[in-house]
Amino acid sequence: MPSGWSWVVHILYFLLSICCLRGAGALVQSCGYITPESPVLAIGSSFTAWCILNESCLDYGNIYASQIIWKTKRSVVPKEQYREINRTVSSVTFNDTSTLATPLTCNILADGHLEQNIYGIDVRLGLPPEKPENLSCIVHQTSRSRFSMNCTWNPGRATFLDTEFWLRTRWPQETFNDCKAAVVNNSCLIPDVQFFVNLEVWVEAKNDLGMMESEHLLFDPVDMVKPLPPQNLSVTSGILPTVLKLSWENRIIPAEMELKFNILYKISDSPDWMEVPPEDTASTRTSFTVQGLKPYTEYVFSLRCMKRDGLGYWSDRSEEKSGVTIEDRPSKGPPLWRKIDTSHSPASWTVHLMWKELDHYEANGIILHYEVTIKARSPLSRPLEKHSVNTTNLTLELPKGTYDVTVTAHNSVGSSPASVLLIPASNSKASVKNVRAAPHAGRLWVHWIAPNSHVAKYVIEWYEMSNNSSYVTEWQQEPGSSQSTFLKGDIKPFKCYQITVYPLYADGQGNGQSTKAYLKQDYPVKGPTIQTKKVGKTEAILTWKHLSVDDQNGFIKNYIIFYKTISGNETAAKVDPSKTEYTLSSLSSDTLYTVRMAAYTEVGGKSGPVFTFTTQKFGKGEIEAIVVPVCLAFLMSVLLGVLFFFNKRDLIKKYIWPNVPDPSKSNIAQWSPQAPAKHNFSSKDQMYPEGSFTDVSVVEIEADDKKSFSEQDLKPFDLLKKEKSTSEGHSSGIGGSSCMSSPRQSVSDSDEGESTQNTSSTVQYSTVVLNGYRDQIPSVQVFSRSESTQPLLDSEERSEDNLGDATSPRHQYFKQNCSQDETNPGESHFERAKQNTPPINEEDLVGLPPMQISGQSSQSYGFEPQKNMQEAALAGALFPSTEGQTVIPETLGINAATVEEMPKSYLPQTVRQGGYMPQ
Amino acid sequence: MKFIPTGVASLLLVMHCRLVAGKALPVDSPSPLCEKKYTCSNKVFEQIRKQVILLNGTAQELFNIYVKWQGDTFRNHTDKLCNPDTIFFPAFHVNQTSEKKEIVVALYKIFAFLNASLGNITRDQEELNPKVTELLERLNNTTKTTRGLMVNLSCLLCTRYNVSQVDVIYGESTKGKNLFKKKQQGCQVLAKYVQVISKAAQVLLPHINDV
Repeated sequence: MPSGWSWVVHILYFLLSICCLRGAGALVQSCGYITPESPVLAIGSSFTAWCILNESCLDYGNIYASQIIWKTKRSVVPKEQYREINRTVSSVTFNDTSTLATPLTCNILADGHLEQNIYGIDVRLGLPPEKPENLSCIVHQTSRSRFSMNCTWNPGRATFLDTEFWLRTRWPQETFNDCKAAVVNNSCLIPDVQFFVNLEVWVEAKNDLGMMESEHLLFDPVDMVKPLPPQNLSVTSGILPTVLKLSWENRIIPAEMELKFNILYKISDSPDWMEVPPEDTASTRTSFTVQGLKPYTEYVFSLRCMKRDGLGYWSDRSEEKSGVTIEDRPSKGPPLWRKIDTSHSPASWTVHLMWKELDHYEANGIILHYEVTIKARSPLSRPLEKHSVNTTNLTLELPKGTYDVTVTAHNSVGSSPASVLLIPASNSKASVKNVRAAPHAGRLWVHWIAPNSHVAKYVIEWYEMSNNSSYVTEWQQEPGSSQSTFLKGDIKPFKCYQITVYPLYADGQGNGQSTKAYLKQDYPVKGPTIQTKKVGKTEAILTWKHLSVDDQNGFIKNYIIFYKTISGNETAAKVDPSKTEYTLSSLSSDTLYTVRMAAYTEVGGKSGPVFTFTTQKFGKGEIEAIVVPVCLAFLMSVLLGVLFFFNKRDLIKKYIWPNVPDPSKSNIAQWSPQAPAKHNFSSKDQMYPEGSFTDVSVVEIEADDKKSFSEQDLKPFDLLKKEKSTSEGHSSGIGGSSCMSSPRQSVSDSDEGESTQNTSSTVQYSTVVLNGYRDQIPSVQVFSRSESTQPLLDSEERSEDNLGDATSPRHQYFKQNCSQDETNPGESHFERAKQNTPPINEEDLVGLPPMQISGQSSQSYGFEPQKNMQEAALAGALFPSTEGQTVIPETLGINAATVEEMPKSYLPQTVRQGGYMPQ
Repeated sequence: MKFIPTGVASLLLVMHCRLVAGKALPVDSPSPLCEKKYTCSNKVFEQIRKQVILLNGTAQELFNIYVKWQGDTFRNHTDKLCNPDTIFFPAFHVNQTSEKKEIVVALYKIFAFLNASLGNITRDQEELNPKVTELLERLNNTTKTTRGLMVNLSCLLCTRYNVSQVDVIYGESTKGKNLFKKKQQGCQVLAKYVQVISKAAQVLLPHINDV
């Protein structure tokens, strides 16, 4: 940008000069100029510029210094900063150049207030260089005899100007070419240096505002050398199995520099480098024998060098080379353990001997085979057994006893010391204490407290606990001096391991002590499934099962039971992990609760399924407290009722089950004025010897007193008249329904609907057995009491006309009831009736008219009417009076008269005072 | 690092084609030897010893490579053509028991001569074998080491032993001689150099401590 403005200024200057030509052929001349020309100013310093007008312009243009206007870029400089030196010179002063803009121009306000530029300068602002600091040099070896020196420094602040940095070097008698920092301003490379002469080195920084020098360094370049690393490194194995010899080439001649070395080495599969002691490699050399190595082990080597006295820098590390030490005999016997199976035979054991492969550094070579010896101790007398195997296990069948087992490993050089194990161990020795296991650094760490006795070694057994019955036991052996170790195996996270520590003594073995541990814990797979064991009014006993070990994923620290009502807040109860039962108390009665249970490890918890239950409405004993008194009260009531019933039995019977005389048993002769003498009462006396009427209702009917009967009472008479034409049968409807229900249409069947309507006002009729079947005419009209509301039949109405044979109708009557009577004519009809009771079947019941079922009497099963009729007949014959109830003979007489007056029909019984009156 | 040939070149011009004898003089007045202000390091003698050892270690190789590139005649008749006894070389009559100052002065004399001779040889070889970097590089390295050695010796002489002037003899210039003579003179000088530097290295064994 400054150069751009400079161009503008010069163009203006050129144009002004043209304007100021004085005649043709004259030289171009400006009206003035500014001094200093293109100054370089330190930022913040003061600056004064002068504008000097040419005398010629004064003459031709009337231009004077007082008319000068100073401008920075496009801004007019305040007049206060002007100073008119004389009529041709004007100066402007800037106390602080920080804000000075370029270009600075000198202008004239000519006539007509036309501003004309006289001259302009470009002002460059910047800073002088600072003193370069921290100068340091390093001499790089580039080839066997070539060295270059690179020096770096801190150039300091930015100067905003072109600043040159020169690296200067010299001897006392000679000054060398300077090195100019070209690409960067803080380093320079000198391609060739001489050793063993002190070289003076410094840096000069220079720009338009000044020059600064760094501190002068005086050093011998040989003390700043970073040599090339040794090359062609080779490794060779020696005679001994613990040494390797290194050889290499140095790339710096000893005359120039004595070297020391730093030899690094490591086992090839190890990340850790080891170092040969520096004092062993502190002199120039081209080979070194590394000692103390492990046999049959591959080592990797690398080395570097630097000036022997330690001045200068370490070289880069050489290329890595590896070598293998030769084999040696195994340093120790293989770790040995056993598993004894006693289940096959009571007299022998199956002994599974197991040993582990030696570590590489213990095997000291390739193990070719193992030798196993089994020596029986007394009292067994068995020869020494020897086995040579290539595997790491051996199974033997041994008689029960004590054996010394040894295992040795063999390689090409020799055999290892023997590993000894006593079988079986007595387990009577002291065991370890306080076995603990915990994860540490990604592995499972086991710690125990050693017993007081001297322990030869320890065996740590472990297996992964699982619901599966099959598991693999792993083991490892530790020296007797250790009290902790890491499990060496594939230990999985979230799995529970049962770890057992056995101490092995020279003459036995201690009991194993166990612990459980997780390498890493997690949430349980699921929560426990909870259920109720017992639910009460305000409490509930919850029960659950422990999570299986596969589901635990860690040690269960505790359970938490969450329970709530549908609308209530959730309540949590912490439960010890050893529990499997918990009682929720203070619950609301008759309330639905949801409950779930979470199992927590140290990582977190997981809830099981939600379970619901409802608390009881009544507590324990409350129901009993209510039911027992109620029952007692009921029993008392029943008891009192029974007592009352017995006390008032007759009275109750009178009103509820009044005795109805059986008209069929009655002696119609006594009733009917036409045949009173024909009626044989003697037979009745025999038939109903103890028959008596408990009560007799009297139906008083007056021929003229029709008004005393309601229309309902009289209605059946109408019906009866109607049915005369349709029914030829002579069934009463009771007997017919039981034995002669079909094919003839019974009156009750046809009149069912009306009968139902008359249920409430049932009028009990007496069934009149007045004739035999078909053409048989009963000699005596027999009136049998019936509660049927059916109208009487024509044949029955005609019975009075056929009175002649008193015995025959009775036979016919019982024939109607049951045809079996014909087979035993000699028996009494009463006995036969009794015998006929069982044949009552469902068909009979179905065949009964509804009226009979809904009737208030209980004689609806065929034989009851007979009995009642018998009783009624008996009552009619004897007129007994029981319990003060009196049968009024006049009434009977009236009844008889009434029958006479209405020979073709029977009057309905009228209930008076809850009883039936014999007709 | 290019050296400005202020010292050697001017001396060669002044002593053109003549042997110049010199002797050590005490520092009484400003002299060309001590006109520069020196700041000797504490281990300057050790530096001198290492420089001599370095030169001794490379002298034989330099001679061999020189002979190698001078043609079959020189390769086949090295002993005869390059006989060091037939050429002048400053005497080096000090031993390990000599005073250190004497040793330093003696070293100064031989290396002043060697420095001038290497200048001639290098110039001639740049003409004769301009592309043989193997030789030219070694000649330059030896020359630079020699000049560095001169710096250290001057420092010791001026600041430690207060010797401001040493009479030195420079070798015969080869300018104007034929190629064979140039090659032969160079060969003879380098052969002598091998002998002398070896002796110097013996004198400067490590048991001589820094002064």
